[in-house]
Amino acid sequence: MPDTYFYRYDDYDRTLVGERVEQFRDQVRRRLAGELTEEQFKPLRLHNGLYLQLHAYMLRIAIPYGTLSSRQLRKLADISRKYDRGYGHFTTRQNLQLNWIRLEDAPDALAALAEVDMHALQTSGNCIRNVTADHFAGAAADEIEDPRIWAEIVRQWSTLHPEFTYLPRKFKIAITGSPNDRAAVRVHDIGLRLWRNDEGEVGFEVIVGGGLGRTPMIGKTLRAFLPRNELLAYLEATLRVYNRYGRRDNLYKARIKILVHEVGVERMRADVEAEYAETRDGLLGLSSETIEAIAQQFAPPDLPSRPTVVGAVEALKLEDRDFALWLKSNVAPHRAAGYAIVTASLKPAGAPPGDASAVQMEGVADIADTYSQSELRVSHEQNLTLPHVAIEDLPAVYAALGRLGFAEANVGKITDIIACPGLDYCALANARSIPVAQRLSSHFANLARQHDIGDLKIKISGCINACGHHHVGHIGILGVDKNGVELYQISLGGDVDFGRTALGTIIGPAVTADKVVEAVDAVVATYLDVRNDGERFVDTYRRIGAQPFKERLYETV
Amino acid sequence: MKLFSETGLPATYVALPFADWRTRSDWPAVALANTDPVEELAAHVDRLRLVVLHFPKFSDGRAYSQARLLRGRMGYRGELRATGGVLQDQVAFMLRCGFDSFESDQKGFGEALARARTVFSVVYQPAEDGRAPVSLLRHERRNAALT
Amino acid sequence: MAKNLSGDLQVASANRLADGVVVWLDDAGEWTTRLERAAISRDRRSGEILLLRAQAEAFVVIDPFLVAVAEDDDGTIEPLSLRERIRASGLTFDAIAADAVRYA
Ligand code: SF4
Repeated sequence: MPDTYFYRYDDYDRTLVGERVEQFRDQVRRRLAGELTEEQFKPLRLHNGLYLQLHAYMLRIAIPYGTLSSRQLRKLADISRKYDRGYGHFTTRQNLQLNWIRLEDAPDALAALAEVDMHALQTSGNCIRNVTADHFAGAAADEIEDPRIWAEIVRQWSTLHPEFTYLPRKFKIAITGSPNDRAAVRVHDIGLRLWRNDEGEVGFEVIVGGGLGRTPMIGKTLRAFLPRNELLAYLEATLRVYNRYGRRDNLYKARIKILVHEVGVERMRADVEAEYAETRDGLLGLSSETIEAIAQQFAPPDLPSRPTVVGAVEALKLEDRDFALWLKSNVAPHRAAGYAIVTASLKPAGAPPGDASAVQMEGVADIADTYSQSELRVSHEQNLTLPHVAIEDLPAVYAALGRLGFAEANVGKITDIIACPGLDYCALANARSIPVAQRLSSHFANLARQHDIGDLKIKISGCINACGHHHVGHIGILGVDKNGVELYQISLGGDVDFGRTALGTIIGPAVTADKVVEAVDAVVATYLDVRNDGERFVDTYRRIGAQPFKERLYETV
Repeated sequence: MKLFSETGLPATYVALPFADWRTRSDWPAVALANTDPVEELAAHVDRLRLVVLHFPKFSDGRAYSQARLLRGRMGYRGELRATGGVLQDQVAFMLRCGFDSFESDQKGFGEALARARTVFSVVYQPAEDGRAPVSLLRHERRNAALT
Repeated sequence: MAKNLSGDLQVASANRLADGVVVWLDDAGEWTTRLERAAISRDRRSGEILLLRAQAEAFVVIDPFLVAVAEDDDGTIEPLSLRERIRASGLTFDAIAADAVRYA
């Protein structure tokens, strides 16, 4: 039996990651010895995931396609203890950030990471970043094909790509294999959506030029249907067009979305197709054997059949209201009968969203060992997911997660807040994000109330770079700085669900930090007053528009 | 500026700026800005002995694409020289894209160049250096296991 | 609280190269982790000199810059901007402890 149900490194992968660590060790040595200037060194450390933040260096570790074994998670806990302050922050891009790394220790931390076949390669810098995928991949009931197979193929192709390491700007790729997009493919530089055409063939819709940040844009379809085996040739063609023609004169106009916007999607398509016509028959074509060899490694675990209706679960549901709520919000259908997908909420009331201590990471790893085939996922909502839990085991998993503070029944609810690190950590920030999230999640802590409010996503960014995805929050909160005072701009109506991707609209003047909770409260109260039966917040907003929310909000604050 | 070459003695032609070369394209050496259309060299690659590509900053990567097009698509076999921001930490990428001579005044560049092809013994993608990518090696290994 | 708010008072700061820690330049030209030891410039001209001194000592730090501060009656200095106050005094919330099983 394999020890994991996802890609396992072979000696080639290990050699490359090992050699990369030694290369970086030498670069760090030369920097400390003064042989490299900071200007020369910065891209080198960024390509190895090392940022400089306000108080220290931060190491951003890639969790490719969000999939993690319990052994890897334990190692991350270990590294956080040994080289950091014993906690880490899970990000919206399926990375783990350690906030207190010493440059001198970074090569050793990376070597430790390599022991469990992990790396921090290309988690920063103007290169192709860690490829993300649906965090329910390989378990979701609605899946057409496991997107991680393709994410791994793209990971390998993009790693140390000699032509695309100094692009105009960073480049993010996301892949989904389900009609219900959980990977936000329309807000990435390239989004790939697997779908089945009328002939029954599976291929990719290639979406280009989406992204948030200073100029949020929803991606456009570059190719409606791309045969799977041509994926790399097509990506290489697209990246080449971008590398040659993307703007480099202005940092804020350098993403591919600006190129697509300026030349138009038709011209972009023509350029890419012309380039692709030349590359498609080259060495980048994927043989079915190559695809199969990687696909095999993602073969799902053989899950023994388990009961779908369990007396004990039904009984506990009646007895324990919080458990019943948890089943509703944190447990999703699995494709195998008798199983479920459980999300461990890293958003307990009042806590910094997405943070976990070393002990908590180890605790979740233990739970995964006992109940979920030793496998975990990191979601782009900054939560951890246990992909293969037997329905029978749900009460035990609920109790075990509860002991770690991770059983809050709030997934998709108003306290399942996405927040970027903000001014507490980030050198680019205008305002703090985490304390705002903490106040909001304390204020709305009551679970019954949260479930009554229903699906409502709050997303908070500490500056216009939008790492907290505020543009696509049902309620988006953006920190701005006005003469040294932190203010927060509120927008409503953003969304990321497939087919419904929308950018929120700013509803009025920014509010001060101490008024954010009241402002959100006013928005929620308006919704509760006027919603129709079963209508989600964002649908109410679409129906009635901003005005009623605006009026109530500015009466209050 | 020192010139480093992997191919022994480099060509000694004076490279004309692209705009000048266009008016006398029988000349065997040309220097391109990274915004110049490299495609226009296609008809002349057999005659050209030296093409110089420029990195205005080491972090401006356009010339990597120009180099690959010259080597891979147009089949240029003469000397391909990198100038401008040419530093030892990027030279492995340059080699992979088909450069074979380098102008650099960075201390230690020559030693780094000598090592650059061995820093990584494994590559994931096909490029212009003829190295077999991992996917191919795996393929051969699978076949070997079968026979 | 802060008495001198003219914006003329400045200290030189940077992050230390080896570990990223926030440091300030003291009167002896050493980088210190203690803000109270920072050398203070009191007008624009001496601010420029302070920055030049900091840049001359920049081998062990990254990109020194000037930080506007205010000074109390008893000589306590505090940066004027929130960003620099956070750089000086750390996170504004408690991070979770390594051995904690829940966020308190
Ligand atoms: S959104 Fe701004 S403040 Fe937040 S992490 Fe990104 S860059 Fe930093």
